[in-house]
Amino acid sequence: MSADIARAELRVPSSARTSNTRTWGGAVTLAVRCVLTLLGVAVVVQTFIVVEARPSDLITGVHGMADLIRRAVPPDFSKLPSTIWPTVQTVDIALFGTMVGVVLALPLAILAASNITPSRFAYYAARGIIGFTRAVPDLVWALLFVTAVGLGPFPGGLALGVHSVGMLGRLFAETIEQMDMAPIHALELTGARRIQVFTHGIVPTILPTLLGISLYRLDENIRSSLVLGFVGGGGIGFQLLTAMNLFQYQEVSLLLIIIFVIVLGAERLSAALRERLA
Amino acid sequence: MLRVRSLSVGYPNGRLVLDGFDLNVEPGELVVVLGGNGSGKTTLLHAIARILRPSAGEIWLGDTDLCALEGEQLRRARLELAMISQHPSLIRRNSVLTNVATGTLGRHYTLQTAFGGLPRCELDAAYDHLALVGLEHLAEQRAGTLSGGQRQRVSIARALAQRPRVLLADEPIASLDPEASEDIMRLLQRLARTARLAVLCVLHQVELAYSYADRVVGVRDGRVVFDLPREQVSRDSVHRLYIGEAA
Repeated sequence: MSADIARAELRVPSSARTSNTRTWGGAVTLAVRCVLTLLGVAVVVQTFIVVEARPSDLITGVHGMADLIRRAVPPDFSKLPSTIWPTVQTVDIALFGTMVGVVLALPLAILAASNITPSRFAYYAARGIIGFTRAVPDLVWALLFVTAVGLGPFPGGLALGVHSVGMLGRLFAETIEQMDMAPIHALELTGARRIQVFTHGIVPTILPTLLGISLYRLDENIRSSLVLGFVGGGGIGFQLLTAMNLFQYQEVSLLLIIIFVIVLGAERLSAALRERLA
Repeated sequence: MLRVRSLSVGYPNGRLVLDGFDLNVEPGELVVVLGGNGSGKTTLLHAIARILRPSAGEIWLGDTDLCALEGEQLRRARLELAMISQHPSLIRRNSVLTNVATGTLGRHYTLQTAFGGLPRCELDAAYDHLALVGLEHLAEQRAGTLSGGQRQRVSIARALAQRPRVLLADEPIASLDPEASEDIMRLLQRLARTARLAVLCVLHQVELAYSYADRVVGVRDGRVVFDLPREQVSRDSVHRLYIGEAA
């Protein structure tokens, strides 16, 4: 009996078998798509539930926001002289953090670039350090350094520096890994030593990209240094927090204008310099 | 000058790319290696430059067997060997003059050269080498702005700056137009004659081999099929090197 069935199956034309396979394949694909769509919808819905999103609060909160804006206008420009020093501090925290980041990230990136690393141990060690410094947010670093060295701009600079090591180290290493190695091998074949190959071959090849990345990081660090003031990292962020706590909304609006100018200025300057380097 | 004896290079699976290869190149001589794709031409150059490690045989550069060298000794020996390739590998953002002068780095290990500097005397010499290849007017230009032919000339100037005894050229005209190709081959021939260089050049252009080579070496399946002065090389024997390549 079973042999008869097997023979009967064998007699089914191959086109019919292909058609059946296609039908089953289509059904499975459709089912997978439905499940994925449901999963997508579930992810969106749970975010609204978890963050307790209540759009009605936005409407009722309009009055409060309008009152805040009314009290913040006009900005108190008489406080302008007292904002100069925190502004300088904010920019310098970012500059300090970027410089520390670049100086520490460059040697780490050399060790963490798979194409030029001297050993596998150095590679994994450097990747570990880069990964850890990047994984811990700069705000957390700031809190740690405030605990260690006290309030002020120094812990802010250190926090940005250490976090920048992670961000820059990874980008520097990727730049080195992606560079064209043919000119480097050609230089090795001339009998040049490793250090000479590095300074005469690798550095000139990657320097413009590294400078571009560093400038972009500086731009990001200026924005971050504003926030670091909230946790005692000094600068204009600390002044903003103080003004808000004292309900000095006209001073808050002045500080927001200054922050806007600093961020925009840094962004444009960084973009212009990167364009020149390209 | 350059003597290759019973040279074999194989893959880890045991397949031989070069099998008992013999070759001589004397100072002032331009030897062209012809052969189909995969015949072992480039492997030969890479083995001589010790980019690849031969599995058997000897490579004598003067009185030194390159196969017996490692580390610092190999680096020193490489100073005598210059290599130019199909795609000239220059540091694009550096000037043409700097690129040429980097050919001398192996001879100067000082604090200055370790930190990106180049000796003044070598920059002057690099200018003279650029003049030899007819590009002294482009000395200050960035290497990335040059044409393919100009880049190849710069890589030849860098090879000369190295002050080698042997010049290995791996398809140096593969990506150049006919006029630039003739220029480069004329230059290689002139350098062999005037600088007394032993030039070993891998080519696919048979006509250029007939025009410029002192000797032609035919290679097939990693073996020397013929090694003759160019006037004794028949069209038929060259044709046989390529039979079956397309199959």
